[in-house]
Amino acid sequence: MKRILSLASCIFLALLSQTCLSDQRAIKIIDDVENLYRGESSKATLTMIIETPQYQRTMKMEAKSKGTENAFYRILAPKKDRGISTLKLDEEMWNFFPKINKVIKVPPSMMMGSWMGSDFTNDDLVKQTTLTEEYDLTLNETDELYTIVLVPKQQTITVWGKIDYVINKQHMVPVAQNFYDDDDELIRKMEFTEIREIAGRMVPTSLTMKPLNKEGHKTIVIYDTLEFDPPDVNQKVFTLRNLKSRF
Amino acid sequence: MLLLKLAIRNIFRQRRRSLLTALSMSGGYVLCAISFSVSEGSYNNAIRFFTLDHTGHVQIHKGNYLRRPKLHKTIDDPAALSETLDNNDNIEHHTLRVFAPALAYSDTDNTQVNVIGVDPTREKRTSRLAKKVTSGNYISDKVNPDSYYSAMIGTGIATSLNISIGDELILISQGADGSVANDIYIVGAIVGNKDSLDKSSVFLPLDAAQEFLSMQGKIHEVAILLKDESKSREFAASLQKQLPELSIDPWQIVEETFYMTMQADQQGMQAMLFIIIFIVFIGVLNTILMSVLERTREFGVLKAIGTRPKTIVSLITLETALLSMMSFFVGLVFAIPIIAWFAFVGIELPEPVDFGGVQLRFFTGEISTYVFATPLAWIMFFALLVCIPAGIRAGRILPTQAMGSH
Repeated sequence: MKRILSLASCIFLALLSQTCLSDQRAIKIIDDVENLYRGESSKATLTMIIETPQYQRTMKMEAKSKGTENAFYRILAPKKDRGISTLKLDEEMWNFFPKINKVIKVPPSMMMGSWMGSDFTNDDLVKQTTLTEEYDLTLNETDELYTIVLVPKQQTITVWGKIDYVINKQHMVPVAQNFYDDDDELIRKMEFTEIREIAGRMVPTSLTMKPLNKEGHKTIVIYDTLEFDPPDVNQKVFTLRNLKSRF
Repeated sequence: MLLLKLAIRNIFRQRRRSLLTALSMSGGYVLCAISFSVSEGSYNNAIRFFTLDHTGHVQIHKGNYLRRPKLHKTIDDPAALSETLDNNDNIEHHTLRVFAPALAYSDTDNTQVNVIGVDPTREKRTSRLAKKVTSGNYISDKVNPDSYYSAMIGTGIATSLNISIGDELILISQGADGSVANDIYIVGAIVGNKDSLDKSSVFLPLDAAQEFLSMQGKIHEVAILLKDESKSREFAASLQKQLPELSIDPWQIVEETFYMTMQADQQGMQAMLFIIIFIVFIGVLNTILMSVLERTREFGVLKAIGTRPKTIVSLITLETALLSMMSFFVGLVFAIPIIAWFAFVGIELPEPVDFGGVQLRFFTGEISTYVFATPLAWIMFFALLVCIPAGIRAGRILPTQAMGSH
């Protein structure tokens, strides 16, 4: 009897450590991949193409980030929108509109609202970084891909019922993120393509966000340039004072 | 001819009875005509309020914009459309508009507003907007020396943002291209009062609104004022054939809720008028039946000397018709001055009723053929209806019995 019990506890412990290990691995994989675009700090120029049945719009912008907490976006073109900026500090977000010289804090109720008319939500810009803290992770793998299934923890406030995070094993780059609602229905899809080598890292340079509940809508983000740890990205960039500065 | 002579003689033979019948009929007529006039008057006033205030008689939109307004449901070539409308002889004026919800900011506060872009010159001719300016100057499509456009705001906005004429008004909205629309305007005028429909509207010159919303010359709505307001349905239908790619609706559809309520109300009013007429004619029926009963011996004699039942029925009908025509003329003499007074003077309300910035001071009537002819038609119809039982009774009577009765 004793032997059976100890055997059972051994098996139980082994299983437990197995799951913990797989969780740990999943967290590490996601952290690695998420750091891909950021490094310690980063600076990028992006082209965002927004397509809807009614209009198509192209924006050029500059993005700076430091760690996972700080990010700063500034629209460079078209002329009409030039200078519109977004600052993200931890989980808070502000937009600055130079034409009316006004900083507007994005209220929690607007977090799921579209960012500058694109298919990205304000929440995407803020929360993307906290995936490993707010979700329970399960790792599945094939020869080429890791698929990490993220299910929100009980206390997590989110609209997603589940997120699939697909990662290319060879280059350790993201391939796709699929977002499901509470009924397990696929709501939107983000795909990562055009893998290029930048500063010694393999990076997908094109992101396509496609909401499946809105026909004909699509947002493409293309990395025109990407620099890691540039000297001009420091703590001063991520301040409300800088948000309001004319350039 | 003999019958007519007989009828006239019969009417004047029993003067008191005829007078009483005629009086009850003319009284009924006057009452009906006044009720018709006042009810028509108040409905037409309400219609005029709606159509002249902002709706117009006919509106043009793209697709189902009227039911489900969306920023992108636009009329893309308003210049060509405007030209077509300017050349249409049935149209008095028309105006072009764009709409969008927005957030308005002052230095300290913010509130939700409806942005309405209007063509300043055309709007002035088509709607009451210019008359609703309570202070400041009506908008113009020119920018001021600092290159800001002027805006007119409802009193609700002025109060909640605590701004007045000359102050800056910041607007933020979503542009038609998905961008964040944001701009500064200078408050040029305040529109309406605190009860107005426009209390949370911001009126911008059309060009400024199109620029703000990145709409590049596109518009959402055309409001048309017709020369003949009663032709709105027919006009809308014919214009729809001419412009099949757009949706053209008369004001009855545009202000559907109002129109339905008004129709229901009008039907209620008509039911009440019907009851008035009915009561009047129960009295008339009574008098006519009485006169037939009183003249039983007379009809007996007529039948005895060979008069056919048909002739007796015709005689009674003719008498009643003559009597009601006379009552109509008497009624008309009384009704015309009263209705004219209602139409041209009206009852001054102790408290003026405000309809979205338009003050209604008088409770007025309507003077038209409809007001005079409809009660006449009702009276004739009922008078002839009451002849039937009386006539049948007189026609069926047996001479021996009739002459034997007292």
